Amino acid sequence: MRTDRVLYITTLSIALVLLAALPLMAAPTPSNQPTMPNCLDCHTCKNPTPEDMCLKPCPTLQAAHNTRKAKHGLSEAPDTMRLDEIADLYQPVDFNHKLHAGMAQMGNNCGTCHHFSPEGKIPPCKECHMPSGEETNLRQPGLKGAYHRQCLGCHREWSHDTKCVVCHLPTEGKKLAKGVDKTDIMGISHPKTEAPKTKVYTTPYKQGPIVTFHHDEHVDLFGLRCVDCHQKENCSYCHDLAKTVSSRKSMKEVHAVCSENCHATDNCAKCHGMSEKPAFVHAVTGWPLNRFHERLGCRSCHPTGKKIAKLNNECTSCHQNWKPGAFRHAVVGLTLDDTHLELDCESCHIDRKFGARPTCDSCHDDQRDFKKVPPGQYSSR
Amino acid sequence: MTLQRRDFFKIAAAGSAVLVAGKATASTESTSADFSDNFGVLVDTVACIGCRKCEWACNDQNHLPTQELKAFEDKSVFARHRRPDKSAYTVVNQYPDPDEPDKKFAIKVQCMHCNAPACASACIVGALEKQKEGPVTYDAWKCIGCRYCMVACPFQIPAYEYDNALDPVVRKCTFCYERITSEGKKPACVAICPNEALTFAKRGELIQLARERILAQPDKYEHHIYGEHEIGGTGWMYLAGAPFTTTELPTLTSEPIPPRTEKIQHAVFKGFVPPVALYGLLALGMYTFNERKKKVAREEDRHES
Ligand code: SF4
Ligand code: SF4
Repeated sequence: MRTDRVLYITTLSIALVLLAALPLMAAPTPSNQPTMPNCLDCHTCKNPTPEDMCLKPCPTLQAAHNTRKAKHGLSEAPDTMRLDEIADLYQPVDFNHKLHAGMAQMGNNCGTCHHFSPEGKIPPCKECHMPSGEETNLRQPGLKGAYHRQCLGCHREWSHDTKCVVCHLPTEGKKLAKGVDKTDIMGISHPKTEAPKTKVYTTPYKQGPIVTFHHDEHVDLFGLRCVDCHQKENCSYCHDLAKTVSSRKSMKEVHAVCSENCHATDNCAKCHGMSEKPAFVHAVTGWPLNRFHERLGCRSCHPTGKKIAKLNNECTSCHQNWKPGAFRHAVVGLTLDDTHLELDCESCHIDRKFGARPTCDSCHDDQRDFKKVPPGQYSSR
Repeated sequence: MTLQRRDFFKIAAAGSAVLVAGKATASTESTSADFSDNFGVLVDTVACIGCRKCEWACNDQNHLPTQELKAFEDKSVFARHRRPDKSAYTVVNQYPDPDEPDKKFAIKVQCMHCNAPACASACIVGALEKQKEGPVTYDAWKCIGCRYCMVACPFQIPAYEYDNALDPVVRKCTFCYERITSEGKKPACVAICPNEALTFAKRGELIQLARERILAQPDKYEHHIYGEHEIGGTGWMYLAGAPFTTTELPTLTSEPIPPRTEKIQHAVFKGFVPPVALYGLLALGMYTFNERKKKVAREEDRHES
């Protein structure tokens, strides 16, 4: 070995000397002409134009078309599933399908993840995506890539992280760690979403650039469900607490969310103004809400249709079951005594006008005041 | 390995003219002109999640000093810009996305396995070689430790074991040569990548694939395949979601480097016979000295044990 190496170095030195002594012999330049792609690899015609690109069908696009075809119900789907086909270096993943599928209603429904969902049963990922090493199609991720891309596509966007333990069950050797609280895994991966109270937008509309949107009002008061407004949304729009992701909707789509079923767009000033608009108070309708109605959502009284219509403000137009025996008078702060409990409502509330001041005159001719001589007992308010 | 010791002597004996041709052989003839049949890897940095699993897999495959897999979850290393070195042939760096600073942009770096490798052309003994399958391999036996390759490489990839006084060698990504040729597997880093940010295939197919990805999502990708043309093309190529000038990949022309390095080398050698001879003798001297040191060390070891 050693003499070999000495010989090697010696030969090397001699070769170098000879090499240097030789006239400059330029080695042929390697031909590294950039290769032109073959047009027909992607196009079906010889001369594609911007108008007619005659592109060959792309499997991904085909899959996207497929998505739109079939509708699948949430009930067809499993609640949770263990993804363990390829578990090797990490533990399997317990995937809460139900939760994600529910969320997907605000995205692209099942197609949010199942980019291939033909009629009938949605094929499992592994039907097309091969385990690592067995892939045959460069354009289709293997099963490992398919799973990770599908989940991380959204998760990394809003969690700003790619920690493996967010989805993979914690390890303890090769076995599942004991006492793993799977709900906790969900906890790590899904921080509570914080719904905004009020959002103030500055828009390019000159006559009224400021749009004040009272989010809490729409949820608490108007009783809207997330999915009523949030459609075709990306997960990060709500889940990203750092709020780096904006809605990727066009102006038209943004307007449609408000105008489609609720607010007419013929009056821009309804939403647009020069300054922030206060939240809705019922008094502006001419009917300030009393302490009972104040706590109700709009839908309790205005149940029909999407648009809120003006109601008849006679109590009985809504409260049709106010009858002796059926109405617990104590809720108004006055528990009637036995004598008065027997009476018809009209005895004190003339013409069943419950909004008007009740009278004692129907029975008592001493012009008494129900406040001073109560027909029962007042509870302290 | 194509050029074996014995061949080397044969070539040397036949004269240095043949040696020159031999050198040219190493860098060009072994592959088809457009290198499309060479193995390559497409690094899609848009899909890369910066999980560092490829670093672990590489260390494991190449028996480099490493930590357990879990330790690679540590993202604090991203605070510092890291380079591949003698004990890590590949590293992942992560930066804030220049467009959206809250987003991150991760990039795996390793030897690019150039079509016309400057390192191989700079190496005067042919220790670095472009294999016909694509990888640029290194033969420690041939290496005389001159470190020309380190100077020549535009990506500053070859690393040297400066701390190894006795038998230092140059270290760099091997493209898992045995694994991808005789074993028919993907490189270790590609195999482990959870998000399939790395695609291993023939270079020609990869370019096609990269074009399709850009075409399918023109807003997401930079319209540039880094490595398709850079310095004559590289075996490892990149796609990115931000301009490559914001990445750590150097901006390079499509002109291959070897003609340049060769010209410089030839100019240096022309009329410099005495110094070159001197270098040769020096190398010989250094070698014998090293061998003696090794022997002494061995003997000392024996005495101690
Ligand atoms: S990247 Fe550097 S080390 Fe790798 S083949 Fe190219 S020149 Fe050689
Ligand atoms: S394993 Fe893949 S996704 Fe993870 S850092 Fe390496 S290249 Fe990126």
